[in-house]
Amino acid sequence: MRNAFFDALCEIAVHDEQVILLYADTGALVLDEFRKEHADRCINMGISEQNMIGIASGLAMNKKIVYIYAIVPFVMMRSFEQIRIDVCYQNLPVKVVGIGAGVDYSTLGPTHHALEDIALMRSLPGMTILSPSDDVMAAACAKMTYEIPGPVYIRLDRTGEPLVYKNGAAFSDGLSLLSHGRDLCLIGTGRMVHMAQQVAGELTKHSIDAGVIDLYRIKPLNKEGLLKAIGDSRYVATLEEHNVIGGIGSAVAELLAESGKTCGFKRLGLPDKFCQHYGTREYLLSQSNLSMSQVTDTLSKWIIE
Amino acid sequence: MMDITELEKKAGWVRAQVLDMVGGMGGAHIAPSLSCTELLVSLYHGGMLRVAPDSLNPDERDRFILSKGHGCLGLYVVLADMGFLSFDELGSFCQDGSRLGAHPDLGVPGIDVSTGSLGHGLSIGAGMALAARMDDKDYITFVLMSDGECQEGSIWEAAMFASHHRLDNLVAIIDRNKLQATAPTEQVVGLESLPQKWESFGWEVRSVDGHSIKDILLTMGDIRSRQSEKPLAVIARTTKGKGISFMENNPIWHYRVPQGDEMEQARQETRI
Repeated sequence: MRNAFFDALCEIAVHDEQVILLYADTGALVLDEFRKEHADRCINMGISEQNMIGIASGLAMNKKIVYIYAIVPFVMMRSFEQIRIDVCYQNLPVKVVGIGAGVDYSTLGPTHHALEDIALMRSLPGMTILSPSDDVMAAACAKMTYEIPGPVYIRLDRTGEPLVYKNGAAFSDGLSLLSHGRDLCLIGTGRMVHMAQQVAGELTKHSIDAGVIDLYRIKPLNKEGLLKAIGDSRYVATLEEHNVIGGIGSAVAELLAESGKTCGFKRLGLPDKFCQHYGTREYLLSQSNLSMSQVTDTLSKWIIE
Repeated sequence: MMDITELEKKAGWVRAQVLDMVGGMGGAHIAPSLSCTELLVSLYHGGMLRVAPDSLNPDERDRFILSKGHGCLGLYVVLADMGFLSFDELGSFCQDGSRLGAHPDLGVPGIDVSTGSLGHGLSIGAGMALAARMDDKDYITFVLMSDGECQEGSIWEAAMFASHHRLDNLVAIIDRNKLQATAPTEQVVGLESLPQKWESFGWEVRSVDGHSIKDILLTMGDIRSRQSEKPLAVIARTTKGKGISFMENNPIWHYRVPQGDEMEQARQETRI
């Protein structure tokens, strides 16, 4: 997903000299490519994330469109106040690109997990939050972030496959109704969209008709579009690699509660505790009952009951 | 261009206006504003800062960031005197609906950056200096900081970055009044030797009497012509609450407005 995003951004930077990329000592081959093409506009900021946001703000106040990149907790948690005040309060074209959604960095421990980022960014006025679910969307997000005039946070995964979308798919509504379910509407974001599709397939074995929505623009939430997409599904569940507090589960809960819609509702995500496991991503997710089979089990029991 | 005597009078006048602005408010950062009055007057009225409300191409102007945003009272007065704001508007300070608050806001004419949380301004300033380099423009970016602010780690991140990238178009002015909100800086987290710290971070460091307009203009006279690849740090020796005897060097006046007899005495001492 990172390659798809930065390849597309590299192309945008060819046509707009004001596009700048700052990164905090976070390496990737695709960055090497960007640097080769645009050496004077690609700066390694070192291990100084707060300064990176400040520098980005100063540049953005002088007509630059600035992308900043690092692992999620470092690029946006460590420097949250700078994003809050320098970027959002002043409504600047600074695009915060975080790599390592959820427990993507599964062997590196909780310092490298991103389980609170959506909650933090949702609370900032003026912030747009994008959460692509595959490489196709990640590439499209480069153009989307460029065209959005103000602050953007984009939550990237290192993995962008298997694909959810065909090449050339268009994204404009902030969400995609991938399939409709009479019984259950499963709303996922990021790589959990792919899992949601697998779970929906498995649930048919339990005679549960489940549909999937990809919620890729978490803020601003397309409330009307989301309610319409949920339609008359009797149950709604959210699935995210994020704390159940403050992420898309909370966003959808807020929407449903205020809409007056009657339906069963459940949030599936990481529990409200630090993930102290090491291993594969699948292992970490399974420790939080978030493997594909565990999610299927949870939902089928919930609905059948 | 005003001469030294006129500029000194102007600084005194700014102090008197600051008191008028805050009027009967319960709390305001008067003392922190008084320690940088001569610095502001030197920059704006003294012509060091290349800015103007209308005539200058905004892209070419110098940038000024009051990183110690709580010291903005004097800045508002100076901006009004320079024509960015009306004097009437000064009277609205912190009133319902006013855009003039206790920390400066980007929406106010003449204010380049919203500040109020210490430690942000130098990074933003370095970003502006970098933009000037990228765009081949010769404007200078000034960042006026407090000394207590140098306790913020982000300042040193910015300092390292600026010297590494040889941002010789960046000037940091440190209002070294040796007090912070609750106590003297050296009792809280000691900053000395502050000049050595900045030097060791790769900056050219100069020291100046922050209340001598003559010294300020002399010390900073060559900012556009100096031959150096280093950013410039000017450590200005100042007195918090300068000009009002009972405020000077007294920590309790960080966020306090004189009342009754105190205000009368303050007005007398700042009367020209």
